[in-house]
Amino acid sequence: MNASLTKVTNSSIVRKRFQSRDKYKLFLMASPFLILVLLFSYLPLFGWIYAFYDFRPGIPLSQSKFMGFYWFTSMVSNPIQRQELYRVLTNTFAFSGLGMLTSVLPVIFAILLTEIRNSAFKRIVQTITTLPNFISWVLVYSFAFMLFSVDNGFVNNLLFKLNWIEQPTNILASSEHVWLRMTLWEVWKGLGWGAILYIAAITGIDPELYEAARVDGAGRFRLIWHVTVPGIMSTYFVLLVLSIASFINAGFDQFFVFSNAMNMNHIEVLDLYVYNVGMANGNYGFATAVSILKSLVSLILFFAANSLSKLVRGEGVV
Amino acid sequence: MLLITLYMSREMTRLEGNAHEKEGWIIQKEVSTHMNKEKKRTGLAVLMSAMLVLLSACGGGGTNNPTGNGSTTTPQTSADTGKTDASNLPDITLTVFDNLANYAGIQSGWFGKLVNDKFHIKLNIIAPNLTGGGQKVATQMVSGDLGDLVIGLGGKDYTDAIKAGLLLDWNKNGLLDKYGQDIKKYAPEALKANSAMFGGGTAIYGVGGNVGSGTGPSEGSDMGFGPNLRWDLYQQLGSPKIKNLDDLLNVLKQMQQLAPKSDSGKPTYGFSLWSDWDSDYSMNAKVTAQLFGYAEGDNYNNNSLILTKADSNSWQGMLDDNSYYMQGLDFFYKANKMGLLDPDSLTQKFSNVSDKYKDGQILAAQFPWASNVYNTPEHLNAGKGFKYVPIDTQKVWSGGYNPYGSNGIWAIGAKTKYPERVMQFVNWLYTPEGIAESNYGPKGLLWDLNSKGKPELTDLGYKALPANNVPIPDQYGGGNFKDGTNQLNNATLALTMINPETGEPYDYTLWTSYLEHNPDPVTKSWSDAMGVLTQKQYVVKHDLISVHPAFFNGKPPAEEPADIKLKRGEVGKVIKQYSWQMMFAKSDDQFNKLKQDMMTKAKGLGYDDVIKWQADQYENTVATMYKK
Repeated sequence: MNASLTKVTNSSIVRKRFQSRDKYKLFLMASPFLILVLLFSYLPLFGWIYAFYDFRPGIPLSQSKFMGFYWFTSMVSNPIQRQELYRVLTNTFAFSGLGMLTSVLPVIFAILLTEIRNSAFKRIVQTITTLPNFISWVLVYSFAFMLFSVDNGFVNNLLFKLNWIEQPTNILASSEHVWLRMTLWEVWKGLGWGAILYIAAITGIDPELYEAARVDGAGRFRLIWHVTVPGIMSTYFVLLVLSIASFINAGFDQFFVFSNAMNMNHIEVLDLYVYNVGMANGNYGFATAVSILKSLVSLILFFAANSLSKLVRGEGVV
Repeated sequence: MLLITLYMSREMTRLEGNAHEKEGWIIQKEVSTHMNKEKKRTGLAVLMSAMLVLLSACGGGGTNNPTGNGSTTTPQTSADTGKTDASNLPDITLTVFDNLANYAGIQSGWFGKLVNDKFHIKLNIIAPNLTGGGQKVATQMVSGDLGDLVIGLGGKDYTDAIKAGLLLDWNKNGLLDKYGQDIKKYAPEALKANSAMFGGGTAIYGVGGNVGSGTGPSEGSDMGFGPNLRWDLYQQLGSPKIKNLDDLLNVLKQMQQLAPKSDSGKPTYGFSLWSDWDSDYSMNAKVTAQLFGYAEGDNYNNNSLILTKADSNSWQGMLDDNSYYMQGLDFFYKANKMGLLDPDSLTQKFSNVSDKYKDGQILAAQFPWASNVYNTPEHLNAGKGFKYVPIDTQKVWSGGYNPYGSNGIWAIGAKTKYPERVMQFVNWLYTPEGIAESNYGPKGLLWDLNSKGKPELTDLGYKALPANNVPIPDQYGGGNFKDGTNQLNNATLALTMINPETGEPYDYTLWTSYLEHNPDPVTKSWSDAMGVLTQKQYVVKHDLISVHPAFFNGKPPAEEPADIKLKRGEVGKVIKQYSWQMMFAKSDDQFNKLKQDMMTKAKGLGYDDVIKWQADQYENTVATMYKK
């Protein structure tokens, strides 16, 4: 840009005006982050090369067998294969879709929370609901196992002792309502955490708006509907668009720890499938091939969502 | 515990040849057995990984016994170890990359002190079983350094490590000749085999473990497989004959009626299974084959989806109609219908099962070592305990002696700074003294030689073995016996081999003095009823055994082609998933439908290709051994 400017104006005074005196300083300040982006986002792309080899740990790539596009074609090589892929993608999109549907819950929760007048109670509620976010899925599963196991599970024992059930059942090994149950776990874990951003957004709304609305005779619900909700809508939208980009990344650890033979048909998302077939069996080439496709799909979804946002709201997120 | 370890390592060794990728998952569970004794309460529902972290933390700190430079006692040097006197060498710490260990950190307790006194070596164990599994091995291989001592890297990983230059050639600089004379003396065939298979006949990249020679089973007093039942309940029923698997279920049903509640008042079950050792199939269902002389793979090739007969040329595909695997699924389906299968089976880990055995909640076991946790002195003295009960038509799968060594290979890392010191240490482990002391502690502590030169346990030995929390005197390292046991978890010579210095086997449970020692009421009642002292004696006497002889053709097993490997992974996933669903099916119709679905899916994903490749490997190698 500078170069073209100099060419056009050919004047040192104008050039000075357009050049930032601090440009090197600013660039230096940004460079650690640029380097991080380069290291963690662009350098790993080199690893895509493994998708074309039969890589085995320890053996350099130069001595590994070249496989061409075998790993890519093997994903869809026959009807059963395609069925499997279809099943896995259905699960992935189902969990992502349910995740999006439930993404309004933190908004509602945040609004309700800010409406609480007793600040001690408010803080207790917020702490309690935020805490689960910091518990790893591994521990969540042990907790679930303690609650629901047949012999020692708290829930089964309680229901059994109260004579509400005749036979203890293994809830964790049931294939029914897997999507719903997994989504509920996720909501339980993420509700408080997800609300934090919206609470911040609500705090940022100009109090004068509320005062003006009150003067106009708005009650509590109208305040919420006409001031609070529009005030946090843009935050919600940005988060929604970003989440579309990761539509195909439904997550891994939750499904990994909760998966078993009974629920596998409904719980196996793409990442878990890659782990089960690729990583656990040492098929690194295959695992890489699938994740390349995943990255491409994410990219397409993201640009689609962004242009949709431009179309609907007149502005994109990037 | 040593026994448990032995059996498990045997089971593992076999498995790892076939499904080495999974071996980390398979062995991992053993840790929990040890662990759970101490952590019974917390152990309940804690997920494996979480537990392992806890464990290694506790194990590392508990019984550390630092030995200063000055306080070392003069090592005893027997005739065999005369050349390896290391008492004047500087103190070093060796990194041990141990694929079979279930303990990470510095070896502590009596074994730690023993090695430190003799060799001035501390062992720092890295255990992929505890963290990372197969991926940990892969990471370590990529890093280019496998540490000083490398244990149990089997199958494809081993050949890859050699190809990548990560292992040391023992012939380089005459290392083996200078420091490994005892390995040459006690395991000559294993060295030759390693050289022929992996070193092109010139280099030697290690020596196989569990080396032995002779005919017959190589197991100790217990076999690797049962079934073992609650002997007291079985006797109360009048010891009914068990002709087949259906009889077994009926007997178990009656036993369940006799003892509907466990020690702590929980409902009892015939069997309780666990899914965390599964690889390409349900491990528990597969063990049915091992009760009848078949096992997955052929102990040489990478062929985990075919079942081969131990002692003749015969194989069946895992999903063949009426294969022993399908019979296993059917067996557990029936068990579930009769209320004999623990409904927690699918979601629990081996550690949970072990707790249930201890509590008396489970009445039968496929593996003797799994139920042995119930056979505590308290239970046995009260007349309650697990013992082997034969099925008339069965053939217990048994591993024969293998002079070429198992997949539990002892190797030295190429980047080690102390090749001689590592070699000296491994050499000692192959001497009679090394075997006795690394398993049962220094002479005079748990065992001693009597006036006739025969080994016998001391009073402390009877209390401490196999792996009990019995305090060890400070001069021997302090702490308790169990925490100080040898954590390398890989045999050098088979423990059932005869110790040339005593004329008795290395395994203490086979010593004359031990067999004649006054037995507990349960063992006595069992021996009286069966007319023998051990399970091995019984199955050999009544020909209820199939012994798998060692196979050797001087070549490494064929590499699994990339497409077969991918197909196996996918097929295995389907088999595993549907197997569990079938075992817990609600009706015969559902069972058959799931079976049909499994077939369709598995075949669609390339089951036939995988079986064809695996069967070809078998026919071309191990099967030729029976055709002669």
